[in-house]
Amino acid sequence: MGFRSYLLKRVLYAILVLFVILTFNFVLFRLMPGDPEKMIIDPNFTAEAKMELRRQYGLDEPLFKQYINYLSSLLRFDMGLSFNTRRPVWSELKERLPNTIVLFAATFIGTATVGISLGVYAAANRDKFAEKFVVGSGLFAYAVPGFFIQLLLLLLFGYYWPILPIHGTMSAPPPEGTFAILLDRIWHLILPAGSNVLIGFGSWALYTRNTMLEALSQDYVVTARAKGIHRRGILYHHALRSVLPPIITLIFMSLPGAVSGAVITESIFSWHGVGRYLLDATLKMDYPAAQGAFYLIALAVIVSNLLADVAYGLVDPRIRVGAGGQS
Amino acid sequence: MSINRKRKENQETARTSVTAAPRPLTFWEQYRRKPQGMLGLAIVLVYVLVAIFAPLIAPYDPLSDLYLADSVAAPAWLGKVSSKYRDLPPTMRLDIGYGEWEIDQAEETVVSAWPQAANEGVEIVIPAKETAAKEEQTTQSSTTAWTSSFQWDPFGLSSGAKKADEKTAPAADSQKDAEASAVLQHAFEYNYKTPQTFSSSFEYSIDAPGDATTALSLDMVTPSGDVYHLWEDKVRGSVNLKRALVDTRDFDLKQRLGISFFDDPTALVFAERGDYTLRLTADAESASGPVTIRMRPVKFGILGKVHGLLGTDHLGSDIWSQLVYGTRIALAIGLSAAFIAVVIGTTVGLIAGYFGGIVDEVLMRIVDIMLAIPSMPVLIILGALFGKSIVNVVALLALFSWMGIARIVRAQTLSLKERTFVEAAKASGAASGYIILSHILPNTVPLIFANLVLRIPSAILTEASLSFLGLGDPRVPTWGKILQNARQFGGFTKLAWWWLIPPGLALTFLSLAFVFIGNAVNEILNPRYRERS
Repeated sequence: MGFRSYLLKRVLYAILVLFVILTFNFVLFRLMPGDPEKMIIDPNFTAEAKMELRRQYGLDEPLFKQYINYLSSLLRFDMGLSFNTRRPVWSELKERLPNTIVLFAATFIGTATVGISLGVYAAANRDKFAEKFVVGSGLFAYAVPGFFIQLLLLLLFGYYWPILPIHGTMSAPPPEGTFAILLDRIWHLILPAGSNVLIGFGSWALYTRNTMLEALSQDYVVTARAKGIHRRGILYHHALRSVLPPIITLIFMSLPGAVSGAVITESIFSWHGVGRYLLDATLKMDYPAAQGAFYLIALAVIVSNLLADVAYGLVDPRIRVGAGGQS
Repeated sequence: MSINRKRKENQETARTSVTAAPRPLTFWEQYRRKPQGMLGLAIVLVYVLVAIFAPLIAPYDPLSDLYLADSVAAPAWLGKVSSKYRDLPPTMRLDIGYGEWEIDQAEETVVSAWPQAANEGVEIVIPAKETAAKEEQTTQSSTTAWTSSFQWDPFGLSSGAKKADEKTAPAADSQKDAEASAVLQHAFEYNYKTPQTFSSSFEYSIDAPGDATTALSLDMVTPSGDVYHLWEDKVRGSVNLKRALVDTRDFDLKQRLGISFFDDPTALVFAERGDYTLRLTADAESASGPVTIRMRPVKFGILGKVHGLLGTDHLGSDIWSQLVYGTRIALAIGLSAAFIAVVIGTTVGLIAGYFGGIVDEVLMRIVDIMLAIPSMPVLIILGALFGKSIVNVVALLALFSWMGIARIVRAQTLSLKERTFVEAAKASGAASGYIILSHILPNTVPLIFANLVLRIPSAILTEASLSFLGLGDPRVPTWGKILQNARQFGGFTKLAWWWLIPPGLALTFLSLAFVFIGNAVNEILNPRYRERS
C-alpha cells in the first residue's frame, strides 16, 4: 500500500468525520429545549414580521431542506446571522480568528521550545536534578488543573502586583505607531501565552526525554559511542535526529487539545477569540453563533488530525502498512 | 566424587529455595512497596473521609446558609496574622428580648415580658392621659410627623432640617427621657473597625383606641454620646402587625441620617470603638383608653468582615463548608463518570476484539470519529443544551471518554482470543458470551482497573473546568463553581486568595493522588511501563 492511497484514505476519513460532526451539529441545535424562534421573535411582533424573520433564518422550510441548506451554506462559510448582534456570524468569527491564531502560535512556539529543550537536556543529564524536574513537570502538567494555574497567575500578576494587563488583546485606545502597537499586543500576550506554556511544557519535556532515552539505548548509539564520538555529538547528531520525527508528529497531535484549551484560556483572560465566542454564544443560546464557532473549531481539529496522520505516515512507514492491513 | 556430591547438594538446595520462595506476590504486597502509590492512597483516603463526614466537618450548609457574614469576608484567623485584617468585625447578631433590655419607664407605664418568657418580646401598656389640650397639640404635630416620615423624598430636601435636629438631640436627651413613657436600652460593646453594613428589624403591634397616637423610635447612642435616629413610626389607632426594618443600604436611613445616596451610614454610626447603646423609645397620647404595644425581640446585626476558616463568598456563604461538601461531589463525579466510561469502553472493546470483522470495523470507526471530535467544545455545547444538571454532566463526561479504554481492551482481547484456553473453550462448544465473560474479561480486569484509576482525575478536572466556565449544576457546590464565583464576583479585585487557592489545591491534590495510584498500579501490571518512565 503506497503513501498515496494511505493519504487518500485519511482524507476521505477526515471528510467523513467532518460530515458526522456537521450532522451532529445540525441535529443538536434542532433538538434543543429552547425553540430558536422564541429566542429572536418577540411575541409582540405581527404575523408578517414573524413570517419574515422565520424566512430570514430559514426556519419555514422542511427539516430535510433545512439540513441541505445548512450543509451547503456551511461549506460556503455562510453561518447565518447571530441572534444577538444580528450580524453575520462568519464576519464576527473572522474578526476573532487572528487573535486566536496569534495566541495559539505564541503558546505553541513557547511550549515546544521550552519542552523540547528541557527534554533533551534531561535525557543528556540522567539521574540529576534536571531529570527529576522534567518528570515532576510532566506530572504537574497532567494533574494540575490548567485553569487554576491561570487564575493564580492572573491573581498574582494582574491584581496583587498589577504589572501585566488582565484582559483583552490590546490597550484601549491603542498606542500610536506600528511598533508601539506591536509591543502592546505582545504585552497583552504575555499572561495568556505564558500561562499556557507553563501548563503545557511538562508533557512535551517528558515525551521528548522518553523518546530520547529510547533512542540513546539503540544499537547505533552504542556503536557511535564505541567509535569514540563525543557525547555531545552523539546526542545532537544521532539521538536527536531520530527523535525529531515523533516530536513533529506530537506537534500535530497536540493541536486538538490546544484548541480545547483555548476556550478556557480565552475566557479567563477575556481574549477576543473564537473559543470565548463559542462559550459566550452557547451561554446566551445564540445558536447560529455557537454553531459557526463550533464548526470552525471542529474544522481546525479535523485538519490538524489529518496533518498528524500524514506526518505520521511520512515518518513511520509501518503505520501505512498497518493501516492498510487492518482494513 | 566428593565434588560431584557437593554440586548435587547445591543443586538440591537451589531447587528447594526456588520452590519455597516464589509464591507470586499478591497485588497488594507489590503495591505496598511503592511509596508513591501509598501516598496517593493516603491522600484519597483523607478525601473519602472528608466526603463521608462532611456534615460533621462543615459547620454550615454550603447552599442555604447565606449572609453568615458580609460578602467576601476574610478568614477570621487572618486578623491575627496580618495588620490589614486586624480588628475587622466578626458577624454580630443581637436578639434583644425582655431580659436584655434595660427598662426606664414613666410612672403609670407597665412594661412586661410578652408572652411571659423573658427571652421573648416586650409588652408596653401606656395608660390614657387626661390633658386634652396637650393631646390635641401632639396629635397635630404627630400627624405631620407621620406624613413626613412616610413621604418619599428622594432629593433629601428635609434631611438638612433633620440633621440639625439630631445635632441638638444629645443635649435634649435627658428631657426626652423624662417625657417618654418607656425607654428600652441595650448596651453592647463594639471594638472593631467600621463594618460594611448593619441592620435591625422587629415586628410589633399596637392595640389602642382610635384617637390614640403612638410613637416608636429606634436610636443608636455612640460611645461619645451622639444619638443617631435610625427609625421611627407614629401611628394613629391600632396596628395589627408591622415590621420595622433598618438597613444601611436603604435610602430611607441615609435620608434620615442626612447623608447622600453614596455615603455609607456605617461610617457615620460606627466610627468609634466602645460601648454603644441601642435605644427604643415608646410614647403614646391617648384620651380614651390605654395603649398596648407588643413587640417581638429586636434583632440587631452587623455582618462581619471576617468569618470562619476560609471566609465567605459573594453571598456570605461559608467557603470552608463549600469546600468540604465539594469533596463529595468531586469524588462522586470522578468515580461515576470513570466507571460508566470504563463499562462502555470495556463492552465495546470486548465485542470489537472478540467478534472482529465488520463489527470490529464499525465499532472502531465510531471510536475514531469520537476521538476526532474536540471534546471540550462539544461538552460546552451539550452541557448548555441539555440543562446544567450534575447527572447530565456525568453522562456527558462518560460519553466522551470511553474511547481510549475501548481501544486498549480490544487490543488485549485480540491477543487473548488466540490463546489456547480460549481455543479450548471454543472447541468444547462454549457460547461466545460465556467465553467473553468468563475467559477474556477476567484477564482484562487489571488493565481496566489501571485505566479506571487514571480516568478519575481527568473526569474530575473536566467537570471542574465545565463548572468553572459556568456550565455546572447551579444547585451543586463543586470546586469549579467556587472558582467561578471567585472570578465572577470580585474574588480578584478584593485579592481574596482564600477564595481561590483552596478549591484549586483541593483539585490538584486529589488528581495528583489518583495519578500516583494509577502510575503505581500501571508499574505493577504493565512491566513495560516501568522501563519507560
